[in-house]
Amino acid sequence: MVSALFAQVKKGEEIAVPYIAYPIKMGKGFNAVQANCLTCHSFGYIINQGPQSKDFWAGKVVKMVVHFKAPIDKKDTQTIIDYLFKHYGNGKLK
Amino acid sequence: MKRRDFFKTSLAAAGALSLSSTLEAAHQPKDGRAISPLAFPEKRPMITYSDRPPLLESPRHVFARPITENDDFFVRWYMPEIPTYIDLKTFRIKVSGLVEKEFEVSIHDLKTQYEQVEVVAVLQCGGNSRSAFTPTAGGIQWGSGAMGCAKWKGVRLRDLLHRAGLKKEAKWIGFNGLETASYYKTPNFIRELQLEELDDHVIVAYQMNDEDLPYLNGFPLRLVIPGTYSDSWVKMLSEIRVTSDYEKLFFMDIAYRVPDNECKCEEPHKKYPTTKPITKMNVKSVIGYPENGALIQNGSHIVTRGVAFDDGTGITAVLISIDGGKTWEKAQLDSGSAGRYAFRGFRYSFKPKTQGKLTIMSKAVNRAGEEQPFAKDIKWNHGGYKYNGIDEVTVEVI
Repeated sequence: MVSALFAQVKKGEEIAVPYIAYPIKMGKGFNAVQANCLTCHSFGYIINQGPQSKDFWAGKVVKMVVHFKAPIDKKDTQTIIDYLFKHYGNGKLK
Repeated sequence: MKRRDFFKTSLAAAGALSLSSTLEAAHQPKDGRAISPLAFPEKRPMITYSDRPPLLESPRHVFARPITENDDFFVRWYMPEIPTYIDLKTFRIKVSGLVEKEFEVSIHDLKTQYEQVEVVAVLQCGGNSRSAFTPTAGGIQWGSGAMGCAKWKGVRLRDLLHRAGLKKEAKWIGFNGLETASYYKTPNFIRELQLEELDDHVIVAYQMNDEDLPYLNGFPLRLVIPGTYSDSWVKMLSEIRVTSDYEKLFFMDIAYRVPDNECKCEEPHKKYPTTKPITKMNVKSVIGYPENGALIQNGSHIVTRGVAFDDGTGITAVLISIDGGKTWEKAQLDSGSAGRYAFRGFRYSFKPKTQGKLTIMSKAVNRAGEEQPFAKDIKWNHGGYKYNGIDEVTVEVI
């Protein structure tokens, strides 16, 4: 009962979390997305939000800056919002 | 403790996930998403929304059984950096703040110096089934597999707090785990609970289904709060801090909240001005078998199986309809011996009599008389939380 008799991972061994190449769309602004977003999360996190409005994507990027303290400058912020809406938007501004 | 170096790992997966190729049914959560061919550590291949942080969903067939195996159990982290190795010789949980005596405790001491307790309880993400909402609600578009039920073993939170001795001003308890952000300034994923919310069912658990917790489910220790959504079940729990005042925190004040009104609902273009935490789970059922698109021989018996649960009020019935919700019959429930916080397994056997598409619906009812609404009647909220529409699968009778 005391020791970790049932551990799936042997004592002292490290786990390795795999990297998955999510099929992100290429286009204008992608460099800014890669440089800023990928530091904290995968492209999967973006493409699995579903198609969203421009306001939604703007809100998400601003949340990263305001609440999560991502150092994204003003120019890149707009570039990223435009990219996300173009490729993962639902065509609606609001 | 070692942390994962993202740029050193380069194992690419074929067939990575996108939102295409799912089975569409009106108002239902997306179902039948591709399972990634690549398994995560201590897991079988699962629906994989993100690798960093890891977001893994259990496929529907897992819910044909009332206990979710560790290897199939869903995974949801918030921050990109999670420890990939923990040395139990040096790992300690710290109890601090407004207590008479701050102390640190090892997993070994937890197992030997405190009363050991077990609870079978459902762990469900507040955004489980989010993909059912129209228009698309914000957040990961989970199907119905961001949930599971396990037997958790550990010690009572109350016993740890008792050992520390709470000071008179103590009112809030903050829980912090070992996941960390890429940037120093990003707030930690800390949860705060009021002392009065905590009962004897709240434990710190080191075992899940008689095994150590998998790393991705919070090894070596996580908080277990039966009946409550999983956002408060802090993983890799390392710090319990007692305070007199509520601290402002992103994950408490902005995320995981619903409109503060009776229906917990709002219009997409007119958000309700005030919100409240999602807290207690509502009544819900999910069919584990058959799955959408299954081929069934006409005139042959089919055994429908699934699970039902709520916040611990207690499931009293699961009703099945095979005529689009016009008539309902009671499914057989399991004994309920796993307790009121567990999945209640259900079973319904019948013989299809006509060829063509056949939809099976399941509706859970609890002791308070609450029951699942039709999926089309679920009201919208901006975070896509607390979906609990009547579940349905459509099979082909041939």
